[in-house]
Amino acid sequence: MSIALERRAVRGGAPGAIRRAVTSDIGARIASYLFLLLVWQLIALYEDRFPTPAEVFGFLWIEVTAGSHGGVVRGQFLEHFAATLPRFALGIAISMALGMVTGVVIGASKVAEALFKDTLLVLLALPAIIWAFLTQMWLGLGDDAVVITTFLSAFPFAAVNVVQGVQAIPRDLRRMSSAFGVSTYRRFRYLQVPAVTGYVFAGLRFAVIIGWNAVLLGEWFSASEGVGWRSRYWYDANRYKGFVGWVLVFILFIVLLDRLVLVRLQRRAFRWRDAQLSAIEREAEEVQLGVTGA
Amino acid sequence: MGSTTVGRGPRRDTRLSLAARRRLRGVLGFVVGVGGFLLVWTLLSEFIVGKFLLPPPLEIGQEMWGIVRTGAFLDHFVPTIMRLGYGFGLALVIGFPIGYLMGTSRYWRAFFHDMVIVAGSIPGITYAVMALVVLGISVLGPVISVGLVSMPYVAINVAEGLDSVDRRLMQMSDAFSRRRVDVVRHVLVPSVAPFAFAGVRLSFALAWKVEQLTEVFGSSKGVGFQIRKEFEDFSIPGMLAWVLLFIVFMILVERFVLVRLERYLFRWRLEDQG
Repeated sequence: MSIALERRAVRGGAPGAIRRAVTSDIGARIASYLFLLLVWQLIALYEDRFPTPAEVFGFLWIEVTAGSHGGVVRGQFLEHFAATLPRFALGIAISMALGMVTGVVIGASKVAEALFKDTLLVLLALPAIIWAFLTQMWLGLGDDAVVITTFLSAFPFAAVNVVQGVQAIPRDLRRMSSAFGVSTYRRFRYLQVPAVTGYVFAGLRFAVIIGWNAVLLGEWFSASEGVGWRSRYWYDANRYKGFVGWVLVFILFIVLLDRLVLVRLQRRAFRWRDAQLSAIEREAEEVQLGVTGA
Repeated sequence: MGSTTVGRGPRRDTRLSLAARRRLRGVLGFVVGVGGFLLVWTLLSEFIVGKFLLPPPLEIGQEMWGIVRTGAFLDHFVPTIMRLGYGFGLALVIGFPIGYLMGTSRYWRAFFHDMVIVAGSIPGITYAVMALVVLGISVLGPVISVGLVSMPYVAINVAEGLDSVDRRLMQMSDAFSRRRVDVVRHVLVPSVAPFAFAGVRLSFALAWKVEQLTEVFGSSKGVGFQIRKEFEDFSIPGMLAWVLLFIVFMILVERFVLVRLERYLFRWRLEDQG
């Protein structure tokens, strides 16, 4: 059905080049961004507190170029990213390292699975906000609270993906390699690593998406600099254009990181598995991978 | 992870005993695993961390029992669940037409592509704080957050579902010149509905977390609001009691309501696969 319609869109009566450009995929995308801007503008008209796109982009320009927001308050942009990124990277690194160890143990041993899977399930379900609150009460304000919030929120998602990967190692190949006495190294190199890699990247993607939300929450409650803190700063100052501007920045950051790096890594590592999927099936799969987070 | 399915093969008796053994292992693992976890937790709070910072499980259990007994549970769970329901309703109402457009027209697919694709990576805190700025402290905030979070999953699943519609049925409807309305009503909706529902179920875990977060930031009732209140009272047992009660409740809903409902809606498909 979609094929028929596609053909009509390409062939059927588009007289001018302009019309063809407007109905092309790129035209549709541009139209969708214009539509979003329009919706935003309408929300701003309806609710006075909410800034217009023009105000927000004006603010971001000052913030990025370190201009003056009026008085002595100057734009700060890179400083806050420089504060956030090490916390974020450290949190993700710890959660990936421990997640891989835990994942391999649970995935490889039936006993470990029976023992730990319920605990892992509860950890998966715990919202990041709980960790943000707990770490603030445990550790006070500072880097530690933020890093540990990130780690604790992202870790179960890294682990559960590695578990799936280890359990997905084809049983036939495992049996065959033991029957033919394949060496441990070769089994590791040619069977286990290729089978698990895709899931590790999926776990990394999960961990990064969930960790980003967690780092922002952690900074919102327990930091005195950083991206999350800066957005709260503008929020508390009732300067909603600054706040919305920063929200836009942290959405943009994670979307670009996900689409330009993580999805590509994952797709590459999974190409042996997903080659036969249609474009829409693959997209549905990728979108749904991000689902269990927040 | 390990799901227990009872096969109906020819050698039924041995399979059943295998399933029973697996179930036994599951129960044993649950008892020993969770029991061990609680034991380690108790020891930590008793001897290393201290009862104030890490309250022992028993204290949290008492707190949970208190919440259930005094009726505070119902007072705050009911609004939270209702909002979740309205939010999913909203997601279906908006997501269905968008998915339909995406599944049938190349233009609309390109139009909504980016919105749907990036939705999964937008941090949950965005929805929570934006709802607060636009709507203030309002009951609408959590509903709209849940709706916005789940809508893309409904849309992309509907589009995927349309992709999977039996083409022979469409050709037949065409050959017998059925009206468009009838085709939509009798062919498209029944085959797509389970996909839309799958979208809701998949986004369930994310949706309730975002809802809770929205309630933490701007609500005057609900589980998230209670968590915030306990945090401000510096009550770790209170906070953990609320969140654990809610998690247990949600896991049960997911396991016993949503998964079964989905299996029911998808049953024609399972039979098909034999």
